[in-house]
Amino acid sequence: MDPSAPIPRRYFPHVLRFLPGFIALWALPSVEAATSPSIEQQFAQTVRPFVTQYCFACHSGATPTAQLDLKSYSNLDAVVRDYPRWAMVLEKLSAQEMPPKAMPQPSAADRQRVIDWIQAMRSIESHKNAGDPGPVLARRLSNAEYDYTIRDLTGVDIRPAREFPVDPANTSGFDNSGESLTMSPALLKKYLQAAREVGDHMVLTPDGIDFSPFPMLSETDRDKYPIQRIVNFYFSQPTDFADYFQAAWRYKYRAALGKPKATLATVAADSKVSPKYLPIVWQLIEEPAEKTKAEVGPIAKLQTMWRDLPPPGASQPDVVRAKCIEMRDFVVKIRKDTAMQFAAPVVEGLPAGSQPLLNWKLQQFASHRRDSDPNDLRNDTDPPPVVPEIPKYPGLHKEAAPRWAALTANGRAGDLDLVVPAAQRTLYEASFARFASIFPDTFYVTERGRYFPDDSEDKGRLLSAGFHSVMGFFRDDTPLRELILDEKGQKQLDRLWQEFDFIADFTARTFVQYFFNQSGEVLGKGAEAASPRPADHAVTDSQVILGLRDAYVALTSADPTNDPVAPQAIREHFDHVNETLRGLEKTRAEAEPKHLDALLKFAEHAYRRPLSQAEREDILAYYRTLREKTALSHEEAIRDSIVSILMSPDFCYRLDLDPRTALGKGAATSAKALAKPAGLRTTYAVTGHPLTGYELASRLSYFLWSSMPDQELLGHAAAGDLQRPDVLIAQARRMLKDPRVRGMATEFTGNWLDFRRFEQHNGVDRERFPNFTGDLREAMFQEPIRFVEDMLQNDRSVLDLLYGKYTFVNPVLAKHYGMPEVQGDPAAPAKNDTWVRVDDATRYQRGGLLPMAVFLTVNSPGLRTSPVKRGYWLVRRVLGQVIPPPPPVVPELPQDESKSDLPIRAMLAQHRANPMCAACHARFDVFGLAFEGYGPVGEARAQDLAGRPIDAKAVFPGGSEGDGLDGVLAYIRENRQNQFLDGLERKLLVYALSRSLLLSDEPLIERMQTRLAAKNNRFSSLVETIVTSPQFLNQRNPGPIEKPAPQTAALQRKVN
Amino acid sequence: MPRSTPDPSTRISRRAVLRGAGVAVALPWLESLPAFGDPTAPATFPKRFAVLFQGNGINENHWSAEGSGADMKLSKTLSPLEPLKHKINVIDGLFNKAATGHGIHPPQTGSLLSGAEIQKGAIIRSGVSVDQMIANTVGQDTALSSIVLACDQPMTGYHETNYSMAYSSHISWQTPDSPIPVEVYPSLAFDSLFENRGALRNISVLDRVKDRAETLSGKVSSDDKAKLDEYLTSVREVEKRIESMRKVKDKSDELAKQKNRPAFTMDRPQNGLPEDLRDHARLMCDIIAIAFQTDRTRVASLIISRDLSAMYYPFLEVSDGHHSASHNNLSDAYERISRFHVSQLAYLATKLDSMPEGDGTVLDNSCLMFLSELWIGRLHDNTRLPLVLAGGLGGTLETGRALNYYKAGDENRKMCSFYLSIMDRMGIKLDRFGDASTRLERL
Repeated sequence: MDPSAPIPRRYFPHVLRFLPGFIALWALPSVEAATSPSIEQQFAQTVRPFVTQYCFACHSGATPTAQLDLKSYSNLDAVVRDYPRWAMVLEKLSAQEMPPKAMPQPSAADRQRVIDWIQAMRSIESHKNAGDPGPVLARRLSNAEYDYTIRDLTGVDIRPAREFPVDPANTSGFDNSGESLTMSPALLKKYLQAAREVGDHMVLTPDGIDFSPFPMLSETDRDKYPIQRIVNFYFSQPTDFADYFQAAWRYKYRAALGKPKATLATVAADSKVSPKYLPIVWQLIEEPAEKTKAEVGPIAKLQTMWRDLPPPGASQPDVVRAKCIEMRDFVVKIRKDTAMQFAAPVVEGLPAGSQPLLNWKLQQFASHRRDSDPNDLRNDTDPPPVVPEIPKYPGLHKEAAPRWAALTANGRAGDLDLVVPAAQRTLYEASFARFASIFPDTFYVTERGRYFPDDSEDKGRLLSAGFHSVMGFFRDDTPLRELILDEKGQKQLDRLWQEFDFIADFTARTFVQYFFNQSGEVLGKGAEAASPRPADHAVTDSQVILGLRDAYVALTSADPTNDPVAPQAIREHFDHVNETLRGLEKTRAEAEPKHLDALLKFAEHAYRRPLSQAEREDILAYYRTLREKTALSHEEAIRDSIVSILMSPDFCYRLDLDPRTALGKGAATSAKALAKPAGLRTTYAVTGHPLTGYELASRLSYFLWSSMPDQELLGHAAAGDLQRPDVLIAQARRMLKDPRVRGMATEFTGNWLDFRRFEQHNGVDRERFPNFTGDLREAMFQEPIRFVEDMLQNDRSVLDLLYGKYTFVNPVLAKHYGMPEVQGDPAAPAKNDTWVRVDDATRYQRGGLLPMAVFLTVNSPGLRTSPVKRGYWLVRRVLGQVIPPPPPVVPELPQDESKSDLPIRAMLAQHRANPMCAACHARFDVFGLAFEGYGPVGEARAQDLAGRPIDAKAVFPGGSEGDGLDGVLAYIRENRQNQFLDGLERKLLVYALSRSLLLSDEPLIERMQTRLAAKNNRFSSLVETIVTSPQFLNQRNPGPIEKPAPQTAALQRKVN
Repeated sequence: MPRSTPDPSTRISRRAVLRGAGVAVALPWLESLPAFGDPTAPATFPKRFAVLFQGNGINENHWSAEGSGADMKLSKTLSPLEPLKHKINVIDGLFNKAATGHGIHPPQTGSLLSGAEIQKGAIIRSGVSVDQMIANTVGQDTALSSIVLACDQPMTGYHETNYSMAYSSHISWQTPDSPIPVEVYPSLAFDSLFENRGALRNISVLDRVKDRAETLSGKVSSDDKAKLDEYLTSVREVEKRIESMRKVKDKSDELAKQKNRPAFTMDRPQNGLPEDLRDHARLMCDIIAIAFQTDRTRVASLIISRDLSAMYYPFLEVSDGHHSASHNNLSDAYERISRFHVSQLAYLATKLDSMPEGDGTVLDNSCLMFLSELWIGRLHDNTRLPLVLAGGLGGTLETGRALNYYKAGDENRKMCSFYLSIMDRMGIKLDRFGDASTRLERL
């Protein structure tokens, strides 16, 4: 049977019987069946005539007032479907605001009958279908979700959706529902570009697939990525001798320091030094007394310094630190002065910089870092050393060793620690040798220029071999491997180097560049080759490499005056190149199947669920097609496979599959996941079925993180226990503490409070407000996010949003608010990504959401404040009150506060004198007026822009008076707090369910309310109530059982 | 052209590939018809821009032009352009200030086409080059936004100035962080032009996605199906555009045949690097010519020899390698090297001039820019640059002139001013580019 064909309806009951999860969960209670018709009748007998008589005059026709056409509600169904507007009707009737005073008024009894009817209808209808999962449409990821998901999928924050057009929002202001998220050919093109962009970041490693923070477009990119990883690895290793001496001191005085049971291992862990190297250092400095007595030279001196370290208590810790630094400096000096030195073997006709010769020199350095040069010691009987003159920097291709020798000879000339008693020379040499074996002259080399080891020039050539013009890299980190790294660290470092060559292909590229530029040393004239230009990959064939080797060996062997080590150096060099390249070929061949495994894992991760066997085969088949039919390389084919995965609706859409058809071969496991979750009420009229574990995991993670589920969540989905309320709640709590919860703080709060696009806000005249910089704008945007993030992670009371006396600032925002400077660490001075909590924010007229600069700024039209917009924002967004849209013609206010004769307060008072305007404006202007103490960019102020003193007093609806922010908050606490909570609950539920609310959600809202009150208003109680609700856990039964919602029907028409 | 014929079996299979794949179309999709294929198209033709680069400067004793039009006198090095002199401009005295004072070679080349400040050490950073600025805009309408070619192998080590050799080996930069990898193999350059691999690959991805969405469509509820249909519709819509593009291409080929005006044709070059640089350079010029003629792209750059080139010129009887020879740039030998490079410009310009387009030729609708990063190799002097243009850029650029800016003052002889002027004519109006905010006068 064609799997895409719809299942005939008559089969459906049969299917139901056999799927344990797919039972009719909700039975229709009989009482409601009896009640509904009477409500229906009442509508026709009472309500319809009432609205016809009193409301139609304004609220019907082509342009109904406030865009409310009451004539369109011809039956109960229509009312139920659009309940929110009828809630508004209820509110207006109850408050006697409608019909307007100037119009004929109904009797009190008639008014009450309609009020009663709306309330009764609400109660009956909301309970009839309570818990209905509702129509949750399949939808593409929102732009924000796309970016966060790519970040969590690849491990790098690429943000490919930055080029996408802004997502439309649904009627509640959120951009995460299928009602508003649509797809178009233009957007599909952007999706393809985005997927390609992510693909450009892909890196193949010997073990799998990685993603680089930048696109891997060119060879220099391919160098940069692995080099940065290796250098970062080096820099993160504990190689400061002072830290080891200090750790040894802590161990020595462990009892006095209150840790009598400490071991070298625990001290090493506490001090963040290598547990392998600390005992080695310890053993040297803390020898048994009889051995110590016999020590001479640098070991004896170091041991004396060690013994002189003061015990704890008597002195400050920084005294010990300072002395440990002295010990380190002593070690570093000795090792610098006794480091081994090497020059390239001298070969007539070859420059010192010739790669085989230079590499030999580098190899000598690398393998003698733990040796001491005995020639650097002087007998006490010798005359004072003659300080050599320092030669100039050598020319190109010339040996730099003589200059380095002169430099170091000058450096050690005054070092009396190198003077040894002639009679005990052997004993001293042994001390220096042992000293060097423990303290290498360096642990690793990160940069190399032309005059290596002289690093006075050529800064920043990371891991470079120091060749002239030709690329090349050289590894020199044996002491780090041997002394500091444990086996795991060694493997990691070896792997990084192996990956370096795997990714950058540097040995081959070095050889090709070398071949075309320096093979002329033996093959042609001068330094540049005149040989034929080999084609394709022939340059790196063994034959070419070994041929060049033999030519070099022949040249070197021809002249007996040449350094006899040279032929060996040459053989080693070319053989090494050849072996490395042949080894890489093998590694690459072996890596291909691993990449395919990684590709399947990537798909599984991207689809947020396991793959079926057919899907796995399909992905591999596509790869093979690309290789064989399209003739792509392995890497290109993997890259395109990744692009196709990212373009697949399985990735970029969130859809919950129809269990009737989705249960194919994997039915056994799916059926398990479909098992009926505990605790579900069974009194619903609408049928539905539980989401699978994976679907639930995604729903949870996109709710709390705006991103894909992590491995732990998917693990519970796989185990089939995610629907268990205890597991679900534990996961929700864990996720709220995770840093990814910033996704919710940004997306939910940003859309709820309407500041999500503030990062692009251009409404401020920067010439008039020069302190409004890009940094300040970003800080303003971040403030509420940081505030909410803190509330989520620490499970604070949601009332802190209103009454919290604290806020969060970074340096630029603190300055804007006139708060003390943000202090950073001494090591890391405060930057604009340093955010601190300010506990006494009220001293600066801040604290909680309302006085945050972002809201005050986004609701100001540039050169003046807007009490109208600010008040409207507060009433509509924070208090959740529905305000009808204004009439088409509204009076304009002056644009620049400093150029108007009247204070804005007085102008608004005139405005409200017009009863048409007053009906709505009386409800919100006053709140904005109370914020007049804040200027157009949210700055606290005592005067307006024309220099008039600020008056922030307000008379609130109901007649109470207040002044400024405190007055607003006191009024809200007294009169509107429940409205705020109710609004928050509704918005959060819309956001969580990715759909508009239904009347049948009302009982859940009530439950959220009760639980919130019982749990001290903690945010987690809202989340826990939502995620354990039937709405969240279930999916409406698909297909013809339910009538499609009107907007979906419209959409279908459009598409068809 | 002295080049061996490809093995016939290879040729047949290659043609088979071309028949099937050459009609495919790259993203982003072309919204309008290619002008030359449609008799009803307006009389404006696409403008094209190409850069030809020679490394290490010229022989300044033999580089000059005087007079204008048919009376223009060209020096020895410029003599290959003699037959075309009414269609060229020789511009003297421009320079790139950002490329002076930072040492020799890589810093002199790294910002040649961008005027950017470049960075030393391991992290490479330059600026978006003028050809890529143009490609970003006009490349939207063609199969490839640009082609970036070289006859010289790139290097990525360090020069003694501590600048990466990558700066010496590339002139085209798509982003400040990475140069565009150069294509040195003529065969692969040809393939990328005509096989449209990028487009084919995207089509393959879309096909697959369509299949998947169709399968899924049967597994979701009817409401969700509507959402998926939206997705499928988008994919199909995109495919439809590709289909109509295919028809446009077929139609334009057909029209060319009817008018008995066979397009310049070219066989796929053999795999591998041509051993002789002369063959190599000509193949690369042929590729640019056919790309411009067929409107596969409107932007090209070609490094004939790179900065610090190690290439040899046995056919010019020069024993030193290119870079060594440039240190003695007053030599006859080096003059021959420079003249060889200029003759590639002459070859490409002549080829384009033989392709009728409207009342003129493809050359008339193009601007070929020949330059080097140095004036005097032995002094590493880049305080003025050798610069020759060929082509009239669709009548917007007067030709047959020798323009000298050397004594106009540093503010009035910026390469970036020149780039602004060229970009204006290509329809890219910028307030600033590199170090310039004014256009080049008199151009």
